[in-house]
Amino acid sequence: MTQVNTRAAHVASVQRMSELSAQVDALQGQIPTTKRVSLPGDDPIAYTRAAVLRRADIASAATQRGIDAASRRLTATDTALESITNLVQRARELALLGSTGTMSPQDRANLATEVTEIQKRFAGLADSRGSDGERLFGGAAADRPAYAVDTNGIMTWQGAGTAPSLDVGGAALATGIEGPNAFGRNDAATGAEDLFATFASLAKALVTTDPAVRLPALEAALNQIDGHVTRLADSRATVGARLARLDMEGVRIDKTTLATRGDLSKLEDLDMAEAIARMQRLITVLEATQGAFVKVSNISLWDLLR
Amino acid sequence: MSDLLSIGAAGIRAYQAALSAVGDNVANADTIGYVRRTVTLATGPTGAGSPYSRDLTGSAGVIAGALGRATDALQLVAARNASGDAARLVARSNWQTRLQTVVTGSDIDTRIGGFFDAATDLAAAPTSTAAGAIFLDRAGQAASGFAAVGTALSGLSADIEAAADSVTGEVNAITAALAGVNDELRRTQAGGAAANGLLDQRDKLLAELGDRVRIDVTTSDRGTVTVRLGGGAAPTLVPENGAAVRIAVRDGPSGAELVLDPTHRVEVVRLPASGTLAGLLEASRQVTAARGEIDALATRFGGAINAWAVAGTDALGDAGTLLFNTAGLSVRSGKANAGSAGIDVTIADGAALAPGGYRLLKDASGWTLSRADGTASVTGAGAITLDGVTIRPGAGAKDGDGWFLDPAGGAIGLSLRPIGPDRLPVADRFVTDKAAGNIGDGAIILDTDPAAAAFAPQPPYRITVNTTGDAEITDIATGALLLTAPIAGGRIVGAGFEITFTGKPVAGDSFRILASGAGSSSNGNALKLGQVRAAVGPGGTMEASLDASFARIGSGLAETNRLKATALAVKADTALAADAVSGVDLDREAAELTRLQTAYRANAQVIAAARDLFDVLIGIAK
Repeated sequence: MTQVNTRAAHVASVQRMSELSAQVDALQGQIPTTKRVSLPGDDPIAYTRAAVLRRADIASAATQRGIDAASRRLTATDTALESITNLVQRARELALLGSTGTMSPQDRANLATEVTEIQKRFAGLADSRGSDGERLFGGAAADRPAYAVDTNGIMTWQGAGTAPSLDVGGAALATGIEGPNAFGRNDAATGAEDLFATFASLAKALVTTDPAVRLPALEAALNQIDGHVTRLADSRATVGARLARLDMEGVRIDKTTLATRGDLSKLEDLDMAEAIARMQRLITVLEATQGAFVKVSNISLWDLLR
Repeated sequence: MSDLLSIGAAGIRAYQAALSAVGDNVANADTIGYVRRTVTLATGPTGAGSPYSRDLTGSAGVIAGALGRATDALQLVAARNASGDAARLVARSNWQTRLQTVVTGSDIDTRIGGFFDAATDLAAAPTSTAAGAIFLDRAGQAASGFAAVGTALSGLSADIEAAADSVTGEVNAITAALAGVNDELRRTQAGGAAANGLLDQRDKLLAELGDRVRIDVTTSDRGTVTVRLGGGAAPTLVPENGAAVRIAVRDGPSGAELVLDPTHRVEVVRLPASGTLAGLLEASRQVTAARGEIDALATRFGGAINAWAVAGTDALGDAGTLLFNTAGLSVRSGKANAGSAGIDVTIADGAALAPGGYRLLKDASGWTLSRADGTASVTGAGAITLDGVTIRPGAGAKDGDGWFLDPAGGAIGLSLRPIGPDRLPVADRFVTDKAAGNIGDGAIILDTDPAAAAFAPQPPYRITVNTTGDAEITDIATGALLLTAPIAGGRIVGAGFEITFTGKPVAGDSFRILASGAGSSSNGNALKLGQVRAAVGPGGTMEASLDASFARIGSGLAETNRLKATALAVKADTALAADAVSGVDLDREAAELTRLQTAYRANAQVIAAARDLFDVLIGIAK
């Protein structure tokens, strides 16, 4: 004959109710955090996958900050190059004015003074600094002026190496233009001059009194200026292309981030509607179990013994 | 006639015994290990009509037979084993949960990720002191994360060891008690209330033992037991006749192991198949494995970052220095310490620690710190220093107290060195640029190689492509030709660097190689941390191998929890099945009580009837 052991029956009922309570408790923990997986033991595969995605998400935020810094640098470089281009254009006008025969020596001297002023402003712009105080045109040598007068009395590039690069999508992208690439360099063999030298020779040509010397010198200066205009335009195009690449990379990161967060949510997030419905069901079952337990354990033959 | 009287009396006695058994059952309805008593009524023995037996020709009456225990040996074994299985998994689950909390609670994955992300920020702002300070802070957090998880895991190991010690202590107490019950059972008459009590106690002890280790029990006719560990030809824990054999847990080559008779003939035995002790030993091995993984990762992290650091140049133009110290000391109090003093240990930056560690002793003359190999020692009253290790003892030490300072590598030993942001090796050792007048599209790629030493003069150098297509390296300061090497020949070895050409350089093209001086804004070395992050070692990248460790710990716990749920259900079922035979059903006892009361009353009625008959007979005689 099978019998129902009173103690065992009690223990079993209580255990069933504890199990239900534990399930309710687990759901109650998940609902406020809206996370289904918060520890490796909850779902090891989802946890690991989520860890990788979360890391990628944070790393792309850091990359985005790098892109922002590089954009700031390149934009500052572009602004400086634009101002310098304007200066060079003005110098070109002055050279053309100085070439006309109607100019008096005094007028040309005034023009030469303006060229000297332009040269000073250019010297300031060539030493432009980025947000961390680094020289935009100094390459990797950031703590000293990009240009200084050397022992021969000639303005010379003091920089070294290339501007810091940014790792964008696995490729290195230089975040600046080195001085010689934007402003040219002096080369006795080819007769090339940098912008400092060109401004100096222009100023010198304008105050030359002998037209036979002055006009060919102005002509040569104009040629140099045309070369500088082209080089500056090339440099600005390079900077613009790099900025565009950074923009594209930023857009790519935004899209990837969106996709990553979507995946992350699918992996970790709780289906709220389902969770709440399940919670309701569990509570109903728990209440019914409690009610049944109280009813059943109240029935006893002993009550009927007189 | 007197037969009828004694039949009634016998009935009264028998039902009294049966009623008291019911009373006993009701009283013990909630006693764990109590087995329901049954009284079997039997016809009284008949014989020659002597005072001890009834006349064969008369009626027999009733007697209460032996007091039985309602048990089913097979059900009991099943319940015991199921309970042991559940206890094993519950213990394993509890400790694995703690392991998971300790490892994930350290946040070590976020800290490592944060360190590498700070490196990205540093590369974007190589000259920013703020970015450098944040990078250093993140490096410190990563190191302290490793140290914290290492310390917590070592504490967890110690806790499990203590728990295993306490369980073996309980096992030894239970087996000793069982040996005592065996002795008592041999001396007690079977079938009596005393014997039944002893059997209840025996079963309860066996159930408690089965919760701790898997046992195999053989029962004799008298109820004495022989208990073996596990099944088959396993070692005996409790012999049928004699003293119990003690067990203990000790460190073995593959983690904690179980030994028999620790004080006399030590014998290593197989891990029990179930029970709390099995769960503890399994958890202990998993903690040991996790510690090994975390230590290996910490060593890899420290080594890789230090190797990265020395390859760069800092903001002051000097070669990079180590970022992390990788050796520390873990402090262990002597087991016999009578005092309550704690000690504070600090290790100076770059201290060369003795490989065997140190000993600290407090005696009447003060504190003595000595190398474990005894080659040096210092004695003092307060803070004392040896080999850069400074000890500051707390109050409350007693003479004779001692401490062990064991060398600790791995996670515990990792710490950030005290360096400032200007000492961070952000820049490459060398920077290169190409002359603005270059015609070809050639470029050079320079790899730092401290071992390379093709020539002596210091940078800057100029590399010029000559008319025969070779590269000429000259010293820019003196113009001296240092080296001529073919461009097509692959790597050209210089002093501290190797270069390779890409593209098509044209004769006359030139490049410069300069040392990164102070204040360089080169971010080349900072960018290389991205390569360190992506470097694949054992188990993939560092972060992937950490993820794998987390996943292993997590899936171990998830698996244990699944098994635990099943084992608990089986335990409940088998316990219910065993209890259905052995336990007390109050309703059934109530019904029994009513039945036996009725029978008792009827027997009393028989006596009353016999008395009436006597009265009638006596009335006739009058």
